[in-house]
Amino acid sequence: MANFAITNGSTSGGGTQQPTAAAYTGALIGITSSGTTPKRHKIYDVLIGTNGTPADNFVEWDISRVTAASTSTALAPTALDSADSASLLNVTVNSSTFGTITTGSNVFYIGVNQRASYRWVAAPGSELVAPATSSTGFQLRCRSAAYTGTATGTILFQEQ
Amino acid sequence: MRNPGGYAYTFDPGGMRQEADSFTCSHCNHVVMVKPKCDPNDLGGMCRLCMKMICPACVDIGSCDPFEKKLDRYEKEHRRRIQM
Repeated sequence: MANFAITNGSTSGGGTQQPTAAAYTGALIGITSSGTTPKRHKIYDVLIGTNGTPADNFVEWDISRVTAASTSTALAPTALDSADSASLLNVTVNSSTFGTITTGSNVFYIGVNQRASYRWVAAPGSELVAPATSSTGFQLRCRSAAYTGTATGTILFQEQ
Repeated sequence: MRNPGGYAYTFDPGGMRQEADSFTCSHCNHVVMVKPKCDPNDLGGMCRLCMKMICPACVDIGSCDPFEKKLDRYEKEHRRRIQM
């Protein structure tokens, strides 16, 4: 079991951060099993915030299950232990569209002031778990009625 | 909350740090934030069959179907489809 970190920050090859809209349009981070080597994976740490001009607006954050990954931009997650081998999951960041969201599959939802940053950490045994089946996983999305800037997210997950 | 299933904190605009416990629903894997001094009935409840905390939506369902069992079913079905 290896632990990985993925962020939609301006890392090399991470694509361009997408503007926030009133409706969910894209995904900051997507983590899904590949079609050939599906792996059960667990999200245990989520950090979210915004990096636009500060203002008092609310931003809604959502993690939902997907049955198909978004198309871009693929990025290799960083292993927290450099001795671990590369992740076998499909990880995408800064997608302008999201994949196929399973109806009613929202597992994490929080409204946060645009000026605030937020972190959620799961205790062992209480992680968000995705089954080892093809193309299933999670996507982190946000929306805001007033804020139109970009947003930041970091997810730490365990691949089993 | 005793034995929380997670922990959340936010750094608010004024520099104030607010903290909250959370638990993850044992039946659907949904994260529920525990607001300080809230009514326990608003949080969901405890399943007396699996003895784990569950979210309000799963309380309304009224049956015990642990998420771990669901995962096993999904993966078994996936393996069966691949073998066909």
